Amino acid sequence: MGHELAWELPVILYLFLAGLGAGTVTVSASVLLRGGGGGFGGRHFAIARYGALIGPLPVLVGTFFIVFELGRPFRALNLFKLVNLSPMSIGSWLLGLFIVVSLLYALLFLPWPTSISERLQPWRKALSWVCVPLGIGVAVYTGVLLGAMAARPFWNSPILALLFLVSALSTGIATIILAQTLLYKPPPDDPRAKKLFHESGYLLTASDVMLIGFELLVIFLFIMYAYLTVGNARYAIAVILPGGDLAAPFWLWVVLVGLLVPALVELFYVVPKLLYRRDYAAPRVVELAVPIAVLVGGFMLRYVVVVAGQVTGPVGL
Amino acid sequence: MFNAKNVVAARRHFVKALAAGVAAVAATVSGASRGAAAAATPKKTKRQYGMVIDVRRCIGCHACTVACKSEFGVPLGFTRSWVEYTEKGTYPNVGRSFLPRLCNHCSEPPCVSVCPTNATYRRPQDGIVVIDDGLCIGCKYCIQACPYDARFLNPVTGFADKCDFCIHRVSQGVEPACVNTCIGGARIFGDLSDPGSTVSKLISKNRVTVLRREMGTLPNVYYIGADHTDELDASRPELRQVHVITHRKQRQRR
Repeated sequence: MGHELAWELPVILYLFLAGLGAGTVTVSASVLLRGGGGGFGGRHFAIARYGALIGPLPVLVGTFFIVFELGRPFRALNLFKLVNLSPMSIGSWLLGLFIVVSLLYALLFLPWPTSISERLQPWRKALSWVCVPLGIGVAVYTGVLLGAMAARPFWNSPILALLFLVSALSTGIATIILAQTLLYKPPPDDPRAKKLFHESGYLLTASDVMLIGFELLVIFLFIMYAYLTVGNARYAIAVILPGGDLAAPFWLWVVLVGLLVPALVELFYVVPKLLYRRDYAAPRVVELAVPIAVLVGGFMLRYVVVVAGQVTGPVGL
Repeated sequence: MFNAKNVVAARRHFVKALAAGVAAVAATVSGASRGAAAAATPKKTKRQYGMVIDVRRCIGCHACTVACKSEFGVPLGFTRSWVEYTEKGTYPNVGRSFLPRLCNHCSEPPCVSVCPTNATYRRPQDGIVVIDDGLCIGCKYCIQACPYDARFLNPVTGFADKCDFCIHRVSQGVEPACVNTCIGGARIFGDLSDPGSTVSKLISKNRVTVLRREMGTLPNVYYIGADHTDELDASRPELRQVHVITHRKQRQRR
């Protein structure tokens, strides 16, 4: 291709992991705030706990990647000497704040003795109110970071940040579904526990279907607006359209594996309950495979977007 | 007949009115955009160093590239200043044009607005866009943001690097290395804010262009007689064969 990529795998992983972690914490805090009235079958606290305890990890790992990608990790401290209007400056402050708050939030969910745990509940709620906007902020900033440059027409779209936000929330829910499936098995001799388990699974899966549908819509708008423009964006978007260099990873991995297949499988199990009030009971293998596919799709989305933006540029000289 | 005449007259009147209207609208729009540009332009600098590249005088010898590399010890495989070739046509109707390149030292530099640490900035005294190695973290955001691919990550220092108009020479009253070495006199350096300078005179007396004007970066490197044939033209071989040689690691312009 003859193009030098300034941002490679560490940056792609960072954008994916930061979005994933921010999404997981946001979902966790939202579930906690929605509380028992939300039809989680009494398992809202457990779900919030999965998200709270897992969420900060990918953000920390991603931050590790991005800081060591600099070559001189301690140089990253220069970011905190000032604030300016660069998306990276604002994003660094947001990310730093998010890491601190999400770690505190996770701390409150550790298996404390019951007496202490009950006293921590108001603190959890209070931090949830901070975690939701901060998580959304971090997820949005990963898109704004790329979108801020006219010299990169593929990224320079106002809807890219929204796409990254929706993808972050969707991968966040997928992480929580995966955690619940791996870490929790309802006691087989207790049909009530099993019912509650499936009830919480239903709500998570239904939310995921909705987000995936929204993500497909955003991707459609992203491509359509670029395609209907004559000029830079039109030539840039050609790289993911049929015949483009990145068409295969985009349509196969992002759209098919990451969005369409999970959405259809989830719909297959969600619709009977949604329309006919039948019991939701997705088999374990589905509750493992679907979130993994969503996570793979989320990573491939970052991969395709980051590479596509760097191999395309403005036309004209 | 009478009718037709009337129609013609009416049409003429309409066209006149339309032209007047268009002119008025254009004046308003251009006035407004000028106002907006003035508002967006950073503080007026005392001087504005700039360069005129008279491509008609360039012979594509790469002396500027080499002088620049030896002046700064630019690491192997990277260039602060370079010369691109554009080959066009099919034998025997062929041509090759040269395009000397360097940082455009834009008045609206996109690299400056994305820098998270203010490591890259436009000097208020002379308008040169520089990088402060003490603040740069090597995030490569500016490299992404530059529409001219003028920047690179210096593999030795680990910081962003690019042309700085040879500040160390210019501040002593000496021309930049590439200008000094140019055997054809294709590169002319000077103060654009001084109407009496050679560069200002050349700009006012010639048809000049800048690269990627539509990016709104307001470059301070002007070209006389530049061939703006690009990769888009190269993608239409049915019209004319075009081959762009960048003489860089980046085999294609973005």
